[in-house]
Amino acid sequence: MSAVLEVSKLSKSFGGISAVDDVSFEVREGEILGIIGPNGSGKSTLFNCILGQLQPSSGEVRIDGRSIRGMRPCDLNRLGVSRTFQLLQVFPQLSVRENLILAGQEHQGSMWSRLLGPRDAGLTPAADRMIAFFRLAPVADEKAGGLSYGQQKLLDAAMAFMAGPRLVLLDEPAGGVNPTMLADLRERLRTINAEEKATFVVIEHNMEFVMSLCTRILVLAEGRIIAQGAPEAVRRNSKVIEAYFGN
Amino acid sequence: MSALGNSVRGIVAVAACAVLIAAPFGLKPYGIYLLSMWAVMTIAAIGLNLTLGYAGQISLAQASFVGIGAYTAAILTTHGWPFAAAFFLAAALCLAVGWLLGYPALRVQHHYLAFVTLAFTTLVFLVLRNEEWLTKGIYGISNIPRPAVFGWSTQAPRDFYFFCLGVLAVVSFAMWRLVRSPWGRAFMALRENPMRASSLGVDTRRYTLMAFAIGSSLGGLAGALYAPLVQFIEPTAFALGLSLNLLLMVIVGGSGFFFGPFLGALVSVLLPEWLRFTEGFYLIIYAAMVMVLMVYCPAGLLGLAERLLKPAAEDRSVLTQSDKDPGA
Repeated sequence: MSAVLEVSKLSKSFGGISAVDDVSFEVREGEILGIIGPNGSGKSTLFNCILGQLQPSSGEVRIDGRSIRGMRPCDLNRLGVSRTFQLLQVFPQLSVRENLILAGQEHQGSMWSRLLGPRDAGLTPAADRMIAFFRLAPVADEKAGGLSYGQQKLLDAAMAFMAGPRLVLLDEPAGGVNPTMLADLRERLRTINAEEKATFVVIEHNMEFVMSLCTRILVLAEGRIIAQGAPEAVRRNSKVIEAYFGN
Repeated sequence: MSALGNSVRGIVAVAACAVLIAAPFGLKPYGIYLLSMWAVMTIAAIGLNLTLGYAGQISLAQASFVGIGAYTAAILTTHGWPFAAAFFLAAALCLAVGWLLGYPALRVQHHYLAFVTLAFTTLVFLVLRNEEWLTKGIYGISNIPRPAVFGWSTQAPRDFYFFCLGVLAVVSFAMWRLVRSPWGRAFMALRENPMRASSLGVDTRRYTLMAFAIGSSLGGLAGALYAPLVQFIEPTAFALGLSLNLLLMVIVGGSGFFFGPFLGALVSVLLPEWLRFTEGFYLIIYAAMVMVLMVYCPAGLLGLAERLLKPAAEDRSVLTQSDKDPGA
């Protein structure tokens, strides 16, 4: 299988402090890669470099073999790279359905067809399928700002999948979500992964969630990769235990 | 929006249209002039409402675009150009200049952007005042002709009012379509969370420039009507005062509400006349009313109306729920 995402010798420093230090890895098509590490280990910086929100100091990121240097987040999104956010980032004044249509509309047609074409850009059926899939039907017409935290988290995830992305980066999808909803979310993610052949990279602190969802885990500490492999192997790795709990 | 809210809005809209069409037949020329001014200012405020209310980009430059539009129309029509050409050139020129003014908005936001656009207003004012070869400076341009539209002379106040009202209707319809198209949704996304919008493929750069360009071109259209309405223009009319006034129209009416500018312009154009009996106290009363409104309802008059209508709508939803489930 080919690599959807290649990160090679990526470094990012702020002033003299190096947040990500010479990190290289690949994510193959259909994989669910988990990235874990203590706070401040460089996970979010790594994400932001991959997503075009930060320019790396050195090294390169390739999506399907294509360098993303100089691309903006919206360019990357239209290449099929999607993301969810650690903190809630839905559009509070728009309804749930409108949030989802927005998430798909820029992938449809041209600027002109979006101006002169139908109001929903033909996306209402797709949005309603996503609403049903994430069980948001009872709140479909409510403003997103009025939803519970867990529901907004589900909406955030649903938005990331609206445009049928090739690669999805999930930033702490489990944060603040109750256990029942969490099991549900894990099932939805697995289904999309299997059915749509979407590739995932997940940053997560919830070990149980990440170990049960991911096929491979990568552990960061102080900006470097200290371990990678299958969830069970990583769980027993002494370097990982040391990074989390000290000596 | 609830069904109740929709029907209330429908009734208000139909009644407003009827009043707008019937009013000039019962008014003296000065009253018709004020109504025409309301229509012109509403067009400019609709433009600013797109830039500020929908797309979230603050601008203190709208008066400059009214000025550019007014001077374009005045200079061209007094040199014998047909009004239609001047009208569309004014809009096109403001579209281009507005696009360029959007570039600073890609770098700075909020009060910094306010300062950039404020500087632009000052710049345009200085050009209008000092470039006498083009604008006749402080002497202004007089004897601006009113157009004949397909053979219909709009020389009389009532005819020109209906012409302004017609342009307002076309602009309103176009804006209604625009804010309900995917573009409108993208503009609101830009206002609410540009970073998230960008991660969903919304080209925030292009939409920011578009918001400025379209909003500014409506300022230009308003200017192209303003010049033949007052028939004499001079630079001070398009200084910062008008920019602040247009900003106030958008905010008082309800920023980001489609009908906000209509109401805001009504307050701003007619209130000084209604408060004329208070003589020197007009500005004090107006300022106090705005302060009270902003404290109790920052979403403006239409925000206030929505809040008053909402409890009723919620009561209804509770009723329908208990209807479905008699055990509850």
